Amino acid sequence: MIDNGLLVQMILGALLGLSVYLPMAAGQLSLATPAFYAVGGTLAALLSTQGDTPSAISLGAVLGEMLLAAGLTAALALLVGLPVLRLRGIYLAISTIALVEIVRVAILNLPFTGGATGIFGIPQPFQQPLGYVLFSGSLLALAGWLCQRLEASRLGRSMAAIRDDELASRCMGIHTTRVKLTAFVASAMLAGVTGVVAAHYLNTWNARQGSFDVAITTLAFVILGGSRSWLGPVIGGLLLTALPELLRPVGDLRLVLFGLVILLGPVFFPQGLITPALLERLGRWKP
Amino acid sequence: MNNPSSGAPLLELRQISRRFGGLQALSEVSFQVEAGEIFGLIGPNGAGKTTLFNLLSGVTPASSGSIHWRGQSLQGLSPDRHNRLGIARTFQNLRLFNGLSVLENVLLALHRQPQGHGLDALFNSPRFRRRQHELQQRALHLLDELGLADQADRQAGGLAYGDRRRLEIARALATAPALLLLDEPAAGMNPREKEQLCELLAQLRQRHQLTLVVIEHHVPLLMQLCQRLAVLDFGRLIALGTPEQIQADPRVIEAYLGGSR
Repeated sequence: MIDNGLLVQMILGALLGLSVYLPMAAGQLSLATPAFYAVGGTLAALLSTQGDTPSAISLGAVLGEMLLAAGLTAALALLVGLPVLRLRGIYLAISTIALVEIVRVAILNLPFTGGATGIFGIPQPFQQPLGYVLFSGSLLALAGWLCQRLEASRLGRSMAAIRDDELASRCMGIHTTRVKLTAFVASAMLAGVTGVVAAHYLNTWNARQGSFDVAITTLAFVILGGSRSWLGPVIGGLLLTALPELLRPVGDLRLVLFGLVILLGPVFFPQGLITPALLERLGRWKP
Repeated sequence: MNNPSSGAPLLELRQISRRFGGLQALSEVSFQVEAGEIFGLIGPNGAGKTTLFNLLSGVTPASSGSIHWRGQSLQGLSPDRHNRLGIARTFQNLRLFNGLSVLENVLLALHRQPQGHGLDALFNSPRFRRRQHELQQRALHLLDELGLADQADRQAGGLAYGDRRRLEIARALATAPALLLLDEPAAGMNPREKEQLCELLAQLRQRHQLTLVVIEHHVPLLMQLCQRLAVLDFGRLIALGTPEQIQADPRVIEAYLGGSR
């Protein structure tokens, strides 16, 4: 039922879910993930289609693109984050939506990004979907491991404190601006790197890849999966990306069912599927 | 820690005023707090006591006047900077990290202690685990001092009211302050608990070389605890002195009991 192609999309979904989760773990509702995803994807598309009829690309070149994308998105996140993270709650969400729109319109209209049709024939480092499964799977494992270590470290604790009570955190001497900015930059880098992998996998890239819809879908990953541990958005991303495909046999009804899951998930699992209580029961809470 | 400049008091308020729109919450309050003393702050509701704490911890800026810490102006510094300079506080209406455990609340406040190299944290090296274990022991020790060690694994939000007040003190102490601002530490406690808290504060001051500024409505407690007191009424400083002087001051009696005007 789940073929390798779908598996790749699920893993990419989980990575984007983690990207939305990181600022949220520091109490910041940022919807900027698609903007950085688009920057990463566009960067990969542009770099790998230079020169005459590129048909193949080495894994090393893809890794190079990922490094570049991480650097570029980190710089962009630093630049945008400093003013934007002064906003709180819904105002931060709105301003990050504006960022998503700015990036989308820029990619649509820049002279070298292919306009509305986008960029085609992005070379593939792997000939089989299995290659992408292993590659993106390793990336997800790495990201998950980093998040696990983060939650056991001072930075992770500071993020949790800010999420609980920002003013009290400041009065405890926590450098809240620095912590929030770090989470935002990490989120951006993860989205950018994911964009690079997605561009090669999809073979084509255009401005629609990083639209407002993606912001909402990826937010749904975190809400359904739960935002108290990094496992939540991973599970949410895997499930919600697979669902529309798995529901294909029921025809058009699948969109209704998909909507129902997003609607009813928070009703029955207000804390998401992965809750601290569940993790405690699984006995993997102690670092 | 930087050396206190010779002669300068630990904390000095010079003509501090704070206005919220049409409300003059504090007007031209001046006093000094010396290192090592327990300084009480009393006054009727709305006298400006908590506003003063917000100014002293950098949460709200003063409208005019200046605050000096070891002879150095605190003007324009953020609350986290205030804390790093050695000023910690508790909150009247309790602001614990309720979603975290009691131990984690204190561990968080130990964040300025060296944590080991970033790579150690990443790979969970023995050195990192040893360091984390040391920090945990320190946190437990602080909890023990406040009588909360047996509650270390509970969620902070689920503690009894008096315990939450003591956890706020433990958390503030974990930031290793020189000055601790306590906003109604005995609120909601029964007389016996208040008595115990009184002894505890005196002990903590000794052990941690603290200077304490305490807001409290329960005046007998402060009279017993403090070397000096300041009395605020409608944002003005109406009396400053030893407990005996304060008790005998006609303006204080008038502010509390109402005068025959």
